[in-house]
Amino acid sequence: MKKNEYAIEVKNLSKSFKLPTEKSSGLKQAIFNSLKGIKGYTKQEVLKDISFKVKKGEFLGIVGRNGSGKSTLLKTLSKIYVPDCGEIKINGALVPFIELGVGFNPELTGRENIYLNGALLGFSNQEMDKMYQEIVDFAELEPFMNQKLKNYSSGMQVRLAFSIAIRAKGDILILDEVLAVGDAAFQEKCNKYFSDLKGEQTVIIVTHDMENVKRFCDRAILLENGKIVKDGKPEVVARNYLNLFK
Amino acid sequence: MNRKDRILLLELVKTDFKLRYQGSILGYLWAIIRPLLLFGILYIVFAKFLRFGSDIPFYPVYLLTGTVLWNFFVECTNQGIQSLLIRSDLMRKIAFKKWIIVLSATATALINLGINLIVVVVFALISGVTPNLGWFIVPFLIFELYLLSLGLALFLGSINVKFRDVQSIWEVLVSALFYAVPIIYPLSMVISYNEMAAKILVLNPLAQIIQDIRFFLITNETMTIWELIKNPIFQVIPMIIVIVVLFFGVKIFQKKSRYFAEEI
Repeated sequence: MKKNEYAIEVKNLSKSFKLPTEKSSGLKQAIFNSLKGIKGYTKQEVLKDISFKVKKGEFLGIVGRNGSGKSTLLKTLSKIYVPDCGEIKINGALVPFIELGVGFNPELTGRENIYLNGALLGFSNQEMDKMYQEIVDFAELEPFMNQKLKNYSSGMQVRLAFSIAIRAKGDILILDEVLAVGDAAFQEKCNKYFSDLKGEQTVIIVTHDMENVKRFCDRAILLENGKIVKDGKPEVVARNYLNLFK
Repeated sequence: MNRKDRILLLELVKTDFKLRYQGSILGYLWAIIRPLLLFGILYIVFAKFLRFGSDIPFYPVYLLTGTVLWNFFVECTNQGIQSLLIRSDLMRKIAFKKWIIVLSATATALINLGINLIVVVVFALISGVTPNLGWFIVPFLIFELYLLSLGLALFLGSINVKFRDVQSIWEVLVSALFYAVPIIYPLSMVISYNEMAAKILVLNPLAQIIQDIRFFLITNETMTIWELIKNPIFQVIPMIIVIVVLFFGVKIFQKKSRYFAEEI
């Protein structure tokens, strides 16, 4: 128990991007730049020496203004980005939802999209068979499963995507700005689901809605310019966040 | 390749294949009709009007085999290069091994080749080619062709992520390369003009593979590298090229793919 007390351990994590300074990127520009001895990019540090730990079963909220590094942090945790330096330790299967419905194809049916999306998250057809009914029930889209996705309304598409996200059985769930989907009834259902999830599953969410932070999270982190400026109780962090805009 | 990678690869290939001919009336039949029509054009122009290949038995099937293999090479490399851009959205949102994308795109091309080869075999049998043990060597040659195409797709694809020019350059190179490979003209024609030129042409792995497959599948009267060049050191050059291309393709892809999500 002691050994695996933490689901995620992040130590001295830094991440920077090379932003091209020229408008056009291509072979011509690259050759031109190397001839003139220009680097052709500026370095932007997005995450600076970040360290934190997430306990198993903890519901962590990450807040901060636009461009503070929240999404980059999630993408680095999800192994989409390679860190410049630092260490990320993950205990368990991590299921990231940086965006809902990744890989959704409008020409495939709802059913086919569920299996495709599942494969992207690493679930086999057999595993998806077990989850399939639950996903469809939660999305309340049973009659539409053999219709092509392009014939779904945007609300229906999001509901389907969201249902896959919360039914995918991983140890750690990562969600970026995806709480507000569907109509009021579906919202209510999601809220109830998240309340039930509390203490059961490790969840990391990024959100701008402080009400959600206070309602669901056990703990929250405030990011500002790529650094953690506050780490603690959701109420305190939410107040700090709102103070940023005063 | 672990279990997770296999699941994703299979699902991507399935999706690609399902989507390819959607919305077309003839559907999958296009996989057969397209190469046949292209072959028809080449046959009328080169065999009928220009009278190429009158010294080669079963010349129409011989021509069809060449075009089918060439089309596979073009499709495989082009799809492999473009696949990374087509799936850029996935790479930005989910972590997975990037070579799965290229592998699934080339696998789709491989399935098409399989369908086309069935057509070739049927044509060969109708034309009077007798099946023989040499046919069993053909899969190994196709494997060699696949490795070459995959190596090129990995190499060019990983550079194309940052420099989109690669796609356009490759298209031009491929159409130039078409005339440097003995597909529409028989190799014996080049020999009669200049034997040295013919010897250089067959050092190209594409020429070696296509001629070898024709030799084993259609007719022993196909001129191959083994007959044209006697020095064993030169004979293995095409295979060395394949190995080198694959090696560098994999190496460069490994190095570049770490940063695809940021750069694309």
